[in-house]
Amino acid sequence: MPLFNPIQSLIATTGLATLLALAAGAGAIAVAQDGSPAPVENGASQVKITLAGDNGGACILDHTSAKAGPITFAVTNKTATAIAEIELQSNNRILGEKENLAPGLPTVSFTLTLGGGTYQIYCPGAKQELQDFTVTGKAAAEPIGSTAEILASGTRGYANYVDGVVDAMVTAVNRLKVDIDAGDLAKAKADYPLARPFYERIESDVGGFVLPGFKATDNAGNLDYLIDMRASNLDEKVGWHGFHAIERDLFQNGRITDETRKQAAELQKNVDTLDSVVKSLTYKPEDLANGAADLLEEVQNTKITGEEEAFSHYDLVDFAGNVEGAQQAFAFLEPGMDKIDPELAKRVTGEFATVKALLDTYRDPRVSGGYKIYTAELKAADAAKLSKSIQTLQEPLSKIAEKVATIH
Amino acid sequence: MTDGSRLGMSQNNHLSRRDVLFGTAAGTIGAATCTAAQAAPNGVEDVVDLTQRHAFYGVAEQAGIRTSPQRNVFYMTFDLTSAQRSDLQILLARWSGAIAQLMKGETIGQVEPTRANGVGFDTGEALDLGPASLTVTVGLGPRIFTDTYGLSHQRPALLRDLKRLPSDALEPRLTGGDLSLQACADDPEVAYHAVRDLARIAKDTGAAATRWTVMGFGRASAGKGETTPRNLLGFKDGTRNVMENADFDKFVWILDGPSWQRHGTYQIVRKIQMHIENWDTDRVSDQNKVIGRFKISGAPLTGTGEFDTPDFEKKDADGNFIIPLTAHIRLAAHENNGGIKILRRPYNYTDGINQVGLLDAGLLFIAYQNDPAHFEALQVKLGASDALNEYVSHIGSAIFFVPPAPQEGSYIAEGMFA
Repeated sequence: MPLFNPIQSLIATTGLATLLALAAGAGAIAVAQDGSPAPVENGASQVKITLAGDNGGACILDHTSAKAGPITFAVTNKTATAIAEIELQSNNRILGEKENLAPGLPTVSFTLTLGGGTYQIYCPGAKQELQDFTVTGKAAAEPIGSTAEILASGTRGYANYVDGVVDAMVTAVNRLKVDIDAGDLAKAKADYPLARPFYERIESDVGGFVLPGFKATDNAGNLDYLIDMRASNLDEKVGWHGFHAIERDLFQNGRITDETRKQAAELQKNVDTLDSVVKSLTYKPEDLANGAADLLEEVQNTKITGEEEAFSHYDLVDFAGNVEGAQQAFAFLEPGMDKIDPELAKRVTGEFATVKALLDTYRDPRVSGGYKIYTAELKAADAAKLSKSIQTLQEPLSKIAEKVATIH
Repeated sequence: MTDGSRLGMSQNNHLSRRDVLFGTAAGTIGAATCTAAQAAPNGVEDVVDLTQRHAFYGVAEQAGIRTSPQRNVFYMTFDLTSAQRSDLQILLARWSGAIAQLMKGETIGQVEPTRANGVGFDTGEALDLGPASLTVTVGLGPRIFTDTYGLSHQRPALLRDLKRLPSDALEPRLTGGDLSLQACADDPEVAYHAVRDLARIAKDTGAAATRWTVMGFGRASAGKGETTPRNLLGFKDGTRNVMENADFDKFVWILDGPSWQRHGTYQIVRKIQMHIENWDTDRVSDQNKVIGRFKISGAPLTGTGEFDTPDFEKKDADGNFIIPLTAHIRLAAHENNGGIKILRRPYNYTDGINQVGLLDAGLLFIAYQNDPAHFEALQVKLGASDALNEYVSHIGSAIFFVPPAPQEGSYIAEGMFA
């Protein structure tokens, strides 16, 4: 810990006084700090954290220790332009935090109940980013219902969700195959969008599977390629496979051929393989967060562009699938996030609601799949609006992974 | 401009634009001081020093208005996406803190977080590029001052939407906005990085989303004592710009009203498309008459030097005005507009090639004035009669109140939330 000059008041360090202090190399920021534990008010220890811009930015605690029990951290950014958030960590796990700290904003606080031990105050962007905070008294056993356990429980719930989605995909793909085998073009075209959303909900979890005996770089053994390759990522050596090969035959060529039947059979087989693989999957909390973020990237890169369903234009069905998958992944993290960073959790929940409300305006029960056809006209008129709604969700969502990540 | 033919004197850590832009700076600082060739034609040394920086915090106007125009601009407007007053406060506070960092040439946070699952705060592309004289100027659009944010009573007295002006060909997608960022720097990547990262903060806080943007290059106005640069018509632009303190106080700064508005100003932005390929095939005598000046010297058609005062009464032997009645400088001159002046801070822009295969370029016209009616009065006149109208279209437009600079420990427009 740096030493602080207890005489100079904080206010006096702005302006000229700051310049003088810096010139003298003192970097003086003054908060009373005598090593005593934080005072207790209203049943909670009170710790004041002041963010100041001197010396490259610093988070200054008025007390660096407190008694075990409820502790309230009140954070005020006076002049630190480089610091926008602060966290309380235990061995790299975030127990509580505040974001959106900027000079001039009112003081914000968070309260945690901590057992005895050493914790870290983390100030990303400060000259010294980590400093210890000591809690004296009885070390708390990892209580039942701890954030880590809540998150772990969420990951198990999510694994069940993925299983359910893939089971439904197996059924829908079987139905599509029956239509194709029967040569019923109209029915196959109607059932195609009904088979699509499942993969879009969970594709971020299954993107890396390679069939036994293949190299990771060989698309011929890449389950994701075999199921969901698009014209835009066609590997000429491996050729057309999966959903979009069928889409091309049904919607562009308008014919069911032997090749279509062969593709449908292969798709069914690969989806069955997928079904067995996902049953063995387990997830870490950050997998859910990163997966949700990946699904939103998918929306931006291949749905809003109209690239995913280039022949059938059912892109909004896939869009809704990606969003639902991301929302489910987040929902399983939400109880844990409510403990770590309730404001961020609320914001992400709110942004998902906004996106869903926007998507609802594109619903059309007359169209198979339930959403309007994403025509060139609709894309020209609405792509920017759709993209912006996702962008506004992407930024806060992208922050969740590091908050829920556990050490291994 | 004649950058390519000029090797700036390098002294006092000043690197010539050529040195800096050609990436030879580090190796040639010493050499350049010995071999430096010639100064600009008028004797004024015109160099870019990427280590220069401007202060963000202050007690008067924001930087980027009176500041000597930097070489590049990245201008963007935003729509508010939250109806929460506190979201707007948080956005302005986070923008302020971040701008203070950026103008120092520092990152706004971690580029490469230590945690593997972390996401960088700062996107990183401006690392090691220096401050490059970056200024980021924040504007507040008319819709901020509404009951939605409890700010109706704080509306600056003259802030309103611009009235419809003659020759307006405005495209909705290039018009309006609730917030504006004018990032100017001597390195385009520094300006781009600033707005890019500030736009991320807007999304992150959920307060605002991008609306329209223009990337401008080759400042088309000069600061006091600097060589007047040229716009894409090839003519000098801004010869008779506001330069003196007294004129800034009279025409640019708002000096009355609530204290949080003092040293504020109104920013009017127009995206003016220039039909440059038509212009390029116009005979030079006509070009000179359209503008009212000689192309190379910048002298009014009635004079010989750039800064000669135009004689709007002078006629030729046939009795015709030498500076035609429809000449741009006659219609825009303060002598012919009740003494009105506005501070012009425009930049050239290009959007590539348009749908019919023509070069798509023009002027991002940014003006500062203490009464939007001043701009309107000038543009009513220009829009109706300017000979230049044949070669330009006003396709984008917006107006913002630019509050004064915050003091350290505060943020832009904090006073309006009091």
